Amino acid sequence: MSTRYVRGIKRALTGAPDTPLVLLCNFEAEAQWARGHVGLPAPPANAARPLVAAMEELGVLLAGPDDTLVLSRPLDPGYRDYLADQGLVLPTVLVPENCLPGRSTTENALDSPVLLDQMRRRGAAGARLLPMGTTTHEQELARRCGLTLAVPDATVVERVNSKIYGRRLTEAAGLRPVPGACCETRQELADVLARYQLRLESGQPLVVKDAYGVSGKGLLVLENPTRAAQLLRMVDRRAARTGDDRIHVVVEEWLPKRCDLNYQVTIGRDGRAGLDFVKQALTAQGVHQGHLMPAELSAEQYRQIEHAAGEVAARLYADGYHGMVGVDAIVGADETLYPVLEINARLNMSTYQGGITELCQPPDTVALARHYPVRLAAPLEFAAVRRALDGVCAGRPAARVLVTCFATVNANALVPVGAGGPPEPFDGRLYALLVAPDRDRLADLDRAVRAAVTILSLAEESHD
Amino acid sequence: MERNEIVKNIQGALAEVLMRDFGPLPENTRLFEDLHLDSTAILELLMALEDNIGIEVDPEKLDMGDFRTIGTLTDFLERTPKVNS
Repeated sequence: MSTRYVRGIKRALTGAPDTPLVLLCNFEAEAQWARGHVGLPAPPANAARPLVAAMEELGVLLAGPDDTLVLSRPLDPGYRDYLADQGLVLPTVLVPENCLPGRSTTENALDSPVLLDQMRRRGAAGARLLPMGTTTHEQELARRCGLTLAVPDATVVERVNSKIYGRRLTEAAGLRPVPGACCETRQELADVLARYQLRLESGQPLVVKDAYGVSGKGLLVLENPTRAAQLLRMVDRRAARTGDDRIHVVVEEWLPKRCDLNYQVTIGRDGRAGLDFVKQALTAQGVHQGHLMPAELSAEQYRQIEHAAGEVAARLYADGYHGMVGVDAIVGADETLYPVLEINARLNMSTYQGGITELCQPPDTVALARHYPVRLAAPLEFAAVRRALDGVCAGRPAARVLVTCFATVNANALVPVGAGGPPEPFDGRLYALLVAPDRDRLADLDRAVRAAVTILSLAEESHD
Repeated sequence: MERNEIVKNIQGALAEVLMRDFGPLPENTRLFEDLHLDSTAILELLMALEDNIGIEVDPEKLDMGDFRTIGTLTDFLERTPKVNS
């Protein structure tokens, strides 16, 4: 569907509202940007995260009919039919002919001459490449197939996505930062933790975040001085072993809050910027769970966000960035707004919801975009999901439920299990957008969807 | 430290990190799939185990296979030299 939202994005990024885009939804670009930076001590990263990679399917609801989405797996036919039945007109989906487990879709594309040729033809026709976040891989892909990037190159994008950069920008702009500090060496970390000793002793936690952490990874909550000392010992042992005493983290007070927020600013190539939306973000242990929209804010809090959005956009543009920017913020328990907790100068989860909320969320209604966990013994057909959700809106006037990503349900089933023996149960996620007239009825609809999805899952074991 | 003591310590550390009292857990319990431990929580789990068992572990040196189940983690901790025992 070509929504007003996506036409606005195209106008901002390319100068024209009808420029065709080739989308690559490379979730967790941070893993690439983090190379060359030293974060918290951490075990070796898991090579493949199939469920996160499968979230690339969310792009199908952002792109318009003139656009192209590159996915490592084709859309499930049942899911495609369902979306068409909802009245949605989908983009062309291209799948690299050489896909290997554990490789990103960009890596698969780079190794697929037929796909590269298809992309080259789109580039020749004026299409632009819009990755979720530019890393050197997407930059190389753009070069190989002659597609111009709709956003800046990897050097700029990596620089402005560091949490250290974001914190310094916030302070320089005179915006209210969450109390804390940036650290780039072991000594700076030791000094900051020493300054916070009394706070830790009084039971008020700190959070230490990697400069390039994402979605709950690279985040450590220090509850007491013992944990702070343990962290420093681990950092010291690593420094002694590697001869490198760098550590790129921000340390912040863990503030009591009423809610998390996420807002998006789109910065055009010409520097003009607009605040696209403000949503309430639902998180658990720093991991994204969903969005409630609209957010419940006072007029003054909204004004402060508009001001912060303008400051962030102006400074990012001056530093060479244009494109979408998702900013995380919090409203403290005392209603104080901290307008910049984190700057993500890339597409965000909420970016992908813009088109469908325009189509499916009438004025004066509320919406919830979230995922529902499932545990399965075997891959699930979309028809089973459709049957389970059939009827949840019955008797609920103005309610609507739309499945926004199905590939994540079965993604982990593709992981090879140990040779021999029965396959092990695997976890999946069903993403959906729920719409209702007010928050109470939205909560009721959420419970009904959760109950319907639970039926699809294996019975929970006693410890889970 | 006896193996069953190590298992009890792991259960205590998991309860602390995941903020849930699981009660006794069999050794074939999978930490990621069954208990939903994530990579961030591993660092907290190691810190809790340092307290309880007297080990020092550098996360970068871990083999993630050691964190597959409570049993494999117990095997790993039995092999890890103690620093203050």
